[in-house]
Amino acid sequence: MERWGMVIDLDKCTGCQECTIACKEENNVPHGSPEEQKRKQDPYWHKVIAASEGEYPTVHTEVIPMPCMHCDNPACVMVCPCKATYRRHDGIVMQNFRRCIGCKYCMVACPYGARAYNYKEQEDLPYNRQDPPLRLDLIGCWPFPHRTHGMVEKCTFCFHRIEQALMEGKEIGTDVVPACVEACPAHARVFGNLDDPESEVARLLSSRTFITLREAMGTNPKVHYLTK
Amino acid sequence: MELNFVSVEGHSKNYKIAVGILGGLFLLGLICYGISYYKGHYLFGSSNQIPWGMPIVLTIYFIGLSAGSLILSTLVYVFGQEKYKPIGRMAVMLAIALIFGALIGIAIDLGRPENFWRLFMFFYWNNMTSMFAINGILYSGYFIISIAYLGIILSGNKVWMKRWGYLAIGWAALVHMGTGAIFGFMAAREAWFSPIKPLEFLTAAVTSGVALLIVVLILTMKFTGRNLRKDMVISLSRLLIAFICILALLIFLDKMTHLYAPERQAVLYSLTGHYAWIFWCLQIGLVVIIPLAILLILPRFNQKLRSIKWIFIASLSVVVGVFFERFFLVIPQAAFPQQYYPGHIEGIWGTVGTFAFTPVEMLISLGIFTMVGLLFLLGLKFLKALPEKTAEELAAAAAKSAPPEAADTIKTETTGGSVNIPPVENQPSQ
Repeated sequence: MERWGMVIDLDKCTGCQECTIACKEENNVPHGSPEEQKRKQDPYWHKVIAASEGEYPTVHTEVIPMPCMHCDNPACVMVCPCKATYRRHDGIVMQNFRRCIGCKYCMVACPYGARAYNYKEQEDLPYNRQDPPLRLDLIGCWPFPHRTHGMVEKCTFCFHRIEQALMEGKEIGTDVVPACVEACPAHARVFGNLDDPESEVARLLSSRTFITLREAMGTNPKVHYLTK
Repeated sequence: MELNFVSVEGHSKNYKIAVGILGGLFLLGLICYGISYYKGHYLFGSSNQIPWGMPIVLTIYFIGLSAGSLILSTLVYVFGQEKYKPIGRMAVMLAIALIFGALIGIAIDLGRPENFWRLFMFFYWNNMTSMFAINGILYSGYFIISIAYLGIILSGNKVWMKRWGYLAIGWAALVHMGTGAIFGFMAAREAWFSPIKPLEFLTAAVTSGVALLIVVLILTMKFTGRNLRKDMVISLSRLLIAFICILALLIFLDKMTHLYAPERQAVLYSLTGHYAWIFWCLQIGLVVIIPLAILLILPRFNQKLRSIKWIFIASLSVVVGVFFERFFLVIPQAAFPQQYYPGHIEGIWGTVGTFAFTPVEMLISLGIFTMVGLLFLLGLKFLKALPEKTAEELAAAAAKSAPPEAADTIKTETTGGSVNIPPVENQPSQ
């Protein structure tokens, strides 16, 4: 059984934000005006934060790219009143736009700020991607293919790429990866099956020290960070 | 004491003007809601950092007032405190109007209100681990129970009044604890995460309920020209003092559990940061310090302060202050950025969230307020909730030669000669 996960090497990451841009392009996440950004009303599925410690001259800044953590024990799935957010059998936490009522409870519950609300009707309506044909046995209920305002959105680990690859029989993690992994110029990101001992992610996690964010929350994130 | 209840005839100029103004503001709110539904929530002040805005503030405020005033009406109908009888019906009516306003507030905050029905597909399309879904049962049940309760009170069945009153009081307490749990169970929001939240909500609800009841009582008695019994108001104000003390203790405990633990930045910010004045001046000042000073401390030095006027001011201060308590909980306490990673988070992801008071959201909030007021006024007209004037009070009013429209507003069963309401419904009590 697959359990998709991601490993981000903080030693390699330069904080170039290419992953954020690739995510916005791939999933057609709308860009906001500076005004909206100031009010934090523009949606981000992926963000890069910088955490600094100490005072000049002994200051140290760490750059942390943050997609959705796709927790094994997700707080958002717990609080969603309408089963709009659910955890797929392969571990991806999805948002079903047909069911979402826009109550924003998941945004309150998420410890990673991974969820964004769509505040206004966007100009580009359809997603900028080829939708694969319906396979309900794989994906469950198909998410609403059009973006409308008034719903909560989140990172999907580019599930459409994974579905496509499964149908075409390609190798996931080497041939096909999410857009942010593909775009990373420093090859800091690796995507793959955490349960497969042969995979690159499992090899990295067994050979190097890694952390997950906010472990005290008990969410068991599937995005792991290799420390410097 | 023979006590009859009457309705307002609703032909006076004042009543019509009040209904007209409230109706106009309600329509304005409705239009603004339509705009926000089509344009999106960017017209609101909320953001990804502060997800909930004024509609949720109003919702939890109204639920508090509603549960509080329903619990107090059971003082009359369950616990037999006959001295509060004149306000019993009005308290239940107010509870229904307020819970309706609260439900509308939730619906307005939803981004996709047309999917609202999914909340009520219990155990089927509904995720029952969500506090929202559990509260869906509690709120809708509460709405039905309080309407049935009003019906039973109007029908005058004493046995069922008492039985249903027990159900209503228990359910109202559950409703409020459930509302507190929505906030108290959120581990990700440091300032909200507290096991004491449900109890704090319940206490705040009862406190604001008592205060609202004193305000409504004094206003109604003045408006209808009835003699206000001072001992009743004094005993209610004693109740208010007790609840304020419990509430202050719970707030103190809540803040202390957060401040004592090492992870205290969010609460420390809320108590000392930009929005701290809302907590210290508007919440603690209006809910705790001013009422306790007026009701408890100052009368020891000046007996004149032990008057109905000052009790009215203290109660009004509590009613307003509890609103700011809810406001402080929902908006400023959510503003502090989450600690995704140890250290100081730079840039936009580490800044404190802002909340803009946008005209659309304010007009919608005003619309919810006016809708509750409108429901209450219509209830006064179509249900017999106001206590009838006694003979001597009528004589006193006539002697004072009150303005004609004020005297016209009250239709008593004996003099008004209403045809459509049979006299049996006008239950004499006791």
